[in-house]
Amino acid sequence: MSTRRQVITIYRLLLREAEKIPAYNFRMYAGRKIRDTFRENKSINDFAVIDQKLAEAKQNLELIRRQVIIGHLYSAEKLVIEQPKKALRRSK
Amino acid sequence: MSLTQVVRSCSRFAAKSLRVTAAVSSTAQPQMRLMHRISSNSPAVSALLNQNYSAWQSQFVRNYSAKPPLTLKLIGERVLLVLKLYDKIDPSKLSVDSHFINDLGLDSLDHVEVIMAMEDEFGFEIPDSDAEKLLKPADIIKYVADKEDIYD
Repeated sequence: MSTRRQVITIYRLLLREAEKIPAYNFRMYAGRKIRDTFRENKSINDFAVIDQKLAEAKQNLELIRRQVIIGHLYSAEKLVIEQPKKALRRSK
Repeated sequence: MSLTQVVRSCSRFAAKSLRVTAAVSSTAQPQMRLMHRISSNSPAVSALLNQNYSAWQSQFVRNYSAKPPLTLKLIGERVLLVLKLYDKIDPSKLSVDSHFINDLGLDSLDHVEVIMAMEDEFGFEIPDSDAEKLLKPADIIKYVADKEDIYD
């Protein structure tokens, strides 16, 4: 697999996994962090550095996967801003 | 008159009156039945009944139906709407034939996000190998139509 393809694949996997984090703040942070970090590093040309960053991304992907499971074990109530409009109206 | 006599006469009176009401109701029943039959046969009442029924239906019956039928036009509208709502695309520049990277100024990472948004919109996964080739809204529309078996 070409490096470009690898990077795009892991970017997608990271974003998809980050969407599953149950806690709103962590979920939003993870999404932002992934996007910003990939953009920050998009001009790297050195293959050694790219490999190192890819390894880091894989490590972080595992971390997010673990956090999703842990988050579901200790889930909290959804925030007010996450609730759909209908539910809000009913609770008023 | 002793107390027991009073009680007895009262109970007798009650039994009589009960018998009377029973008789009344037995004579009234056929009439009510007749009225019922007439009312359910009259068109106005049956229309009202149907209306009530359909209102009841819409309230309590769940429809486990398939998703609304897609057409090429509808897919096109949905694709363009999703793209318009994406913050890095200028809606004024957007058209069906604009190239994501050359015309709209997205990079490959944005392109990945666009494809992910399409997956969410249409509810199926687009593999990386196919995603690379979807570089224009028109390509996405064609791809979705192929996947959903829609031909014009």
